[in-house]
Amino acid sequence: MEQKRVVQVNGLSKLYQKRKTKEIVKAIEGVTFDVYEGEILGLLGPNGAGKTTTIKCMCGLLKPDEGSVQIKGTNVEKSRLKALNHISAVLEGNRNLYWRLTVRENLEYFAGNRGARRKDVQTRIDHLLDQFNLKHKENELVSSLSRGMQQKLAIAVALLANTEVILLDEPTLGIDVETGYEIRELLKEIVKKENKTIIISSHDMPVVQDLCERTVIINHGKVITNEKVDNLIDLFETKAYCLSLGEELNEKQLQQIETHFPIYEYSNQKLEVTLENDGDIYYLMDILKSASTIIEKIDRTTIDFEQVFMNLISREENEYVVSSSN
Amino acid sequence: MSLVHLISANTRMEFIELKRYLPNTIAMFLTFYIIFLAMFFGINVIGDPQHAETNIQYGIVNMVFWFLTMMTLSNIGFTITLEATRGTLEQLYMSPYGVWRILLARFIGYLMINSVIVVLLLAATMLTANQWLNLQPHIVIPLLFLTIIGIIGIGFMIAGMTVIFKQMSAFLQILQFILMGLAFVPLSIAPFLVLAPFVKGFDMVREVMIHGFTWSHFTAADLSILIVNSLVYLIIGVLVYLKCEKVAMTKGLIGNY
Repeated sequence: MEQKRVVQVNGLSKLYQKRKTKEIVKAIEGVTFDVYEGEILGLLGPNGAGKTTTIKCMCGLLKPDEGSVQIKGTNVEKSRLKALNHISAVLEGNRNLYWRLTVRENLEYFAGNRGARRKDVQTRIDHLLDQFNLKHKENELVSSLSRGMQQKLAIAVALLANTEVILLDEPTLGIDVETGYEIRELLKEIVKKENKTIIISSHDMPVVQDLCERTVIINHGKVITNEKVDNLIDLFETKAYCLSLGEELNEKQLQQIETHFPIYEYSNQKLEVTLENDGDIYYLMDILKSASTIIEKIDRTTIDFEQVFMNLISREENEYVVSSSN
Repeated sequence: MSLVHLISANTRMEFIELKRYLPNTIAMFLTFYIIFLAMFFGINVIGDPQHAETNIQYGIVNMVFWFLTMMTLSNIGFTITLEATRGTLEQLYMSPYGVWRILLARFIGYLMINSVIVVLLLAATMLTANQWLNLQPHIVIPLLFLTIIGIIGIGFMIAGMTVIFKQMSAFLQILQFILMGLAFVPLSIAPFLVLAPFVKGFDMVREVMIHGFTWSHFTAADLSILIVNSLVYLIIGVLVYLKCEKVAMTKGLIGNY
């Protein structure tokens, strides 16, 4: 069955001018990807890669210089307010809340700002308070809540809007492991039961690996990968090896490895290396053979998504340096 | 109907915030009351004793106008700055009703609460000064309502500038003196101020409260000028706000503080 596209990001580009130096900075260039109904998509990238610019363009908070965003077929730039009927967001985490209002007052206020009558949203608010385990805190000021609870409330506020698409910027930032797990489970439940589409921007790779089906990775303002998380892990897993050596590598060998394999780690006669091409294994063997280094064991390493992300970013960084110097 | 819910949510929000920041709220009213007392005793000491009664009445009415406009306008600038600092401004921009409608709801809510406070302040003022004004609510309320429409227009202009520049406190400080001028100077002295916002309305209310004017004292031209003046400022205000919002969205300034 063909998946229904709910978000279309097409060729987004945005230039900024630095205030002091007047230098033009390319924030994003030709960012293109789609998001499908009932999917949790991870939007990843290092700091300054262009994630926030992309997110702001998706919410209509920033006008792109080129390209467009369509949410459920509505062009965000042309009909921003209409598009906002289909998307809600948590952009600043717990800062998105009024700290001098209680939990329930926050929910009521944001519902009111979406045109809902206070009386009509009470059942939905009660349901969300139960779902997010905040019922016992409903009359407490947000300022007195823990960071994890504030984060849960911020997500509940976004869910209260009952939109098809929910955008969460760093939903687990600065919260403890237990609450992070709770939020992950809640998000999975919401997608499963309510068929919502969630876009998550995060630096927390275990969260991305656990939650997201697919990731779009942005670096230097461009999409470098748009692939399923499992596929990325498989791709890198087959190329990552751990070699236990009988003796230490000499300097020349290390230099050769460093030059040819940008992603490697060496300590205590253990060499972990990621091979990029099929022929690389033979080249590695040649390097080891050149000093008659004994290989005691070769293991295929299990790789997690954090390593995949680092591999992709450092590979792209190398290409970026080469293309910039040319 | 949704606009009603928007106004209701924002009025409630303003009221809760006034309650939660109670020491601030009390300090604000005390400040204005002390300013009035200083003005009242100043008039008694340095003013012409023959006209003291009229001068005091004039002082009371002007002070109330100044309070109303200043509190409303500075609140608008302050609200945007505060929301941007707190991190809630971007969340307001996620409303499908648009921030200008939320701001309008906030203005209305704020004005409703402030009007009650102004009535109380006015009563306290009249009691202290022992000078009783012609309140005539059936004339004063409609006139003030029309005047306030123009104030809201200026509020939108300030809100728009705050969205772009964020730090408006210096400007708002200068503005309070401009407002003082607009609220205090009668049109008989400076007829050209008829083009300025809310001066015509305040002048008419002053005539009612101090000189006991009724509807029959006003001409159709007086009312037309007031209505046109207020509507023009409201329309210009909303357009300026929307333009500023567009600039902020192009430059990526929404929410950045």
